Formats: sequence, C-alpha cells, structure tokens
Amino acid sequence: MATSMAATIAASMPISQAPAAAAQTTYETIPPSMSKVIDIEAEIPITTVQLDALVVSKIVKHGSEVQNASPALGLLIGIDFDGTLEISNSFPLPNVSDDDEKSNKSLARYQASMLRALKEVQADDAIVGFYQSNSLGAFFKQSLLELQAIHQEKIRQGGIVIVHDVIQASHGNPSFHAFRLTKTFLQAFRAGKFNTQGLVEHNLTFSSIVEEIPVRIRTNPLAGAFLSTLTTPAPISSSSLSSSSHVTKSSSGTLPPAFSSLDLDARSLTANLSSVLDALDDYKTEEGNLAYLQRQIAREKLKAEQHIQRRREENALRVSQGLAPLPEDDVSRLFKIPPEPSRLESTLLLGQIDAYSKSLAHGASVNLVRTYSANGGNSACA
Amino acid sequence: MPIGQTSSALNLQNLNSGTISNPTRSIQNVIVHPVVLFNILDHYLRRKDSQERVIGTLLGTRTETEIEVHNCFAVLHSETTEQVAVDQDYHRTVYDLHHKVHPKEIIVGWYSTGSNLNTYSALIQYFYSQETAPHPAVHITLNTGTEEGGEPGVKAFLSSPVGVYPKPENCVFVPIPCELRFNNSERGGLDILTKSLSSTSPSITNALSDIEVLERSVQMVSEMLDRVLSYVRSVIAGEIKGDPAIGRYLLETFAMSTEGLDQGSFARSLQDTLMISYLANLIRSQAEVSTRLQLVTS
Repeated sequence: MATSMAATIAASMPISQAPAAAAQTTYETIPPSMSKVIDIEAEIPITTVQLDALVVSKIVKHGSEVQNASPALGLLIGIDFDGTLEISNSFPLPNVSDDDEKSNKSLARYQASMLRALKEVQADDAIVGFYQSNSLGAFFKQSLLELQAIHQEKIRQGGIVIVHDVIQASHGNPSFHAFRLTKTFLQAFRAGKFNTQGLVEHNLTFSSIVEEIPVRIRTNPLAGAFLSTLTTPAPISSSSLSSSSHVTKSSSGTLPPAFSSLDLDARSLTANLSSVLDALDDYKTEEGNLAYLQRQIAREKLKAEQHIQRRREENALRVSQGLAPLPEDDVSRLFKIPPEPSRLESTLLLGQIDAYSKSLAHGASVNLVRTYSANGGNSACA
Repeated sequence: MPIGQTSSALNLQNLNSGTISNPTRSIQNVIVHPVVLFNILDHYLRRKDSQERVIGTLLGTRTETEIEVHNCFAVLHSETTEQVAVDQDYHRTVYDLHHKVHPKEIIVGWYSTGSNLNTYSALIQYFYSQETAPHPAVHITLNTGTEEGGEPGVKAFLSSPVGVYPKPENCVFVPIPCELRFNNSERGGLDILTKSLSSTSPSITNALSDIEVLERSVQMVSEMLDRVLSYVRSVIAGEIKGDPAIGRYLLETFAMSTEGLDQGSFARSLQDTLMISYLANLIRSQAEVSTRLQLVTS
C-alpha cells in the first residue's frame, strides 16, 4: 500500500522548478541585503526547522485522535528561508485503508484541492514535508522511508519528516523531531540494493538511515499575546474565555501546573516493555524468513551447479562420441536462483527495537527518580 | 444536510429550547480546543488589508447540552457597505475535505474576529443555522486584542430570531458560557508554547527530556510545600489568622499519604525499575551489535 500511496502523493507534488525560474525573471532586483538569504536554486542547506504554534497544536490534535493501528499522517506546508525551514501550516491526510487505484486517486485529489483551498485564504501552499505520529519513538517504517525518499527527490530542499510521539505527548511532554534521509541511504534506496552487499557498500546501520535536524518552535506575536492574556488572571466576566475558572484560580497566573509527570503509575513502562518484546518477536520472525531464504538460495545454487556438472560430463561423453555438445547456458532458465533477500526490513526492525529500548531505559530512569522522590516525601511525612 | 424550513413556529421553538429533537434541553456550554484559537489567529494574520474581520466554519461534536469545537477552517467572505457574501462553494468543498479525515466532526457554527455583532453577522448566522439545522448554530467571536480598547478573549453566542416576522437579518445574539478545554497532550502542547512566552527569544528549541520535566515538577512541589510550611508556621506563631478552609484542605491533602509505598514495596519497585533499565540497555547493545554484524560478510 505504502509504495503506491507515496507515489500518488509524489505525483501530485507541484513542480518547484518552474515558479522558481519565473521568479528569477520577474523580480530582477533583489535588494543586496536580501540576496544572501534568498536562494532561488535552493542551495542553502536546511539547518533548522521552525514549527509554528498552529502546526504544533494541529499535529498534537491529530495525533491524540488516531488509534495506534494507523499513525496520523499529514503534510506540512511552509517555506524555506536562509537555512531555516519555516513550517506555517499543516493538514492531515485521510486514512486510506485499502490500496486500490480509486482511493489513491481520491487521495491525490484531496491533496490538490486542499492546497487550492489554502491558497485561496492566503495561506502558504508549498509542501515541505510530512508529519507522522508514532509511539515510543519507534518511527522506522518502510512506508515512512519510502515516502520521504520520494519527497527528497521531488520537493525543493528535499523536504523533511516531523515525527511526533503520541505516548510521550499523552504524558504531557510532547516532542517533535525533524528528520531527513542520509545521502548514503538515498543512494542505496535509488539502487534498490538492500542485500548484504548493498548494506556493506553504503555502510548502512539503522542509525545511519536518517539524520536529525534541530527543531525550533515559534509562537507568532499575535498568538503569543493572546496566549499570555489567556494565562494571566483576568477580572471575572461571565462569558469570556479568560475567566474560565481553573485558569483564574491559579495563583501564579499561568496555566495551572500539570503534575502528570509525577504519576507513579508504572503502566506505561509495562506497555513499553511489551512493545519491546513484540519488536523482538517481529525481528525473530524476520530473521527466520531471511535464514529460510538464504537456505533456499544455497539449495538452488547447489542444484544448478550439480546440473552444470552433469551437463559437462554428458557433453564430454558426446564429444568423445562425435556428437555436438548440448548447450550449457540453459541453467539460468531451468533453475531460478532467487535474488538475495532485502535486509532493509530487519535493519528497520532493529532500529525499532533500539528506539523502544531507548525510551524504555529513559522511562526507567525517570521512574527511578520518581520512586525516590515519592519515598522521600513519604519518609518526610512520617 | 437538508436545509430546514424556517417557519416562525420553528424559530420560536429554537428560541426557547435548543433543538427540535430534544425540546427540553438547550445548549448550555461551548467548549473550545486550543487548535481552534491558533487557527483563527493564523487566519487573522493572513487576512487581506481590506478585510475588517475574517470568518470561518467551526467543526466539532455536540451533545444535548454542550457543543465541543474541535476544529475550524477559514472561509472566504467579503463585506462592503451594501452587501455581504460568503463563498458557499468554498465552504462546502473544504468541509467535504475535512469530513474525509475527521468524519465525526460536523458543522456546529462559525467564528469571526473582533467583537462586533452587526446585521451582517445576523445574515451569516442565518446561513450557518441552515447548515446546522435542526440544531442551533453557535457563533464564536474572538477578539484579537489588536484593536484599541478591545480586551482579547473569546465569546460564544447562540441566536434567536427577533421581530414579528422573522427575517434573516434580524436576530438576537444570546451569550452562552465558553470554556477552553484540552486533553493531556494538548495541555503539553500548550505548555511548550507558553514556555516561549517567558523566554526572551521569539523561538525556543523544543523537547525537554522527561527527566527535566520531572525535575521541574518536583521543584514546584517542594516550593509549594515551603509556601504551605511558612504559612502554617506563621499561623502557629499567631502572626496571621488561620483560614479554616485552607486548614481543612491541607489536612485532607496530607492525609492522602503514600501509604502503599512502604519500605517493602519501595524496594520491590526499585528492583523492578533497575531490572528494566538493565534490560533496556542490554537490548540496545544487542541491537547495535546485530546491525554491525550484518555488515560483516563471510
């Protein structure tokens, strides 16, 4: 499903080259102070990603709505400026359940009309990447990498993917990470070579598939001003938002402090642990598949060699009898040696295991501190 | 959605009771999620110079007594001294698009910026009541606070027709309570946004680690304990008169001790946690070794 969906999304990408060229001819006089930061050819590499408050709240909303089975997926809209990719808006993509031509077409149509609609209300309308939700930091999925690989070819500046952790967000500490595929992975992806040879050639491990780009979060002054009035206690009036009771009652004047991080419940750790185990199981299965395929290859190879051997002996016999030798090159026709299996999946699974156990270790250390602090409070009370 | 026949009888019923299907109940509360506010503010920033205000459609869910606004989108409209026009095609198209992603969210009303309610508001409200029929449409005004004398804030209204013969351009906007609500993750999202307010730079780098968040929470708790302690001490010393309500509240709070966490279970949970931590690190190194081994050919 993922491949074709990615392809459809990519197919409906606007071609970025044409408007860039047009801009060059129409606006000839770029002020000298700006000439350094405006890059028509997209030459300045992106060093930071800037998320607008709107995008933050939109992704958080979308992420908190979806079930675990299918991650929230959406497109990011914005512009790149002097090495900073400013993401000003985003919209979610519908969940395409089945992989037929029709749903893909409707997805492309959806995307095109959404962009048109955004353009009509003066919003940015250039796709710069996409976002995806995940749980516990394990975002290595073939679909994600494929989509990003296509983006990186199609979109100006290559595009980025924003990864948002739903589980962490539900604990009150949402995080956003921006990633881009590394050059080596892209080379391997273009060649479609993920067998052992390909991995060795490009020196690919799960940690060298993506590179992270620092993320900044920006609240525009208007939203900032509005937020700060929301968080300062206001004189009580019956119907205004700023007077909603729990906001005004807090003495510090900010949003009431959240203490969800003090929750002693270790359920999240258990869930994390079981997801590690699941990932390990998946990996084991994948490993078994690989081993099976390897054995099959070896068997087929052996058969082919035996065949050649026999043919040679037969030919030698025929030549000695004065007959024309039988051809030796029909082996490839008779025996189909399966190609070496792709190791991408198992590498990605390893990456998932790594991510899961990383967040597990993290959660455990936090839990440790929590237990001690609770115990400290307890002994102080006693 | 069928456009309801607007007779005066129906309007009268609307006036007293919120919906036709539940004639006894009326909408008592409007709940707004943070994403709606940011959307409206963003739309306001992107308005044309000629536009006084911007309007858009509110999407959400409704129960018998509450309307929960989850989402919204901008709608094109134009206002001149003679007429007002809402791009209905645009509204339909974008609503259909939204419907594909969030099938549960339906049109519940509309928003506009500024707190000016005029004849045009009534006309637009009339249009949206047709969209939400037979339920009433809610109108949310968001004052951005950029105009002189305007207090930033959000107000919600329901409308009732007025006059002997109900006309679209005549209606009374009845204010109803409006509340900002967020779930745990939205709360966290707001937190990182409000953090940027206190820092001097306009932008902040994101992602505090969990442990830092925990540290801040623990610090906050200890500060609160200090405050309580100093208060209690000064009450005991007779410096200030104790407030019985506060006293009772404190008693209740401290009675909820962590009794389950006695010495035995503390040690147990400590062991568990350490075990998990050990396991996690072990798995990580195994994974690392495994991926390196893949690169080794025989």
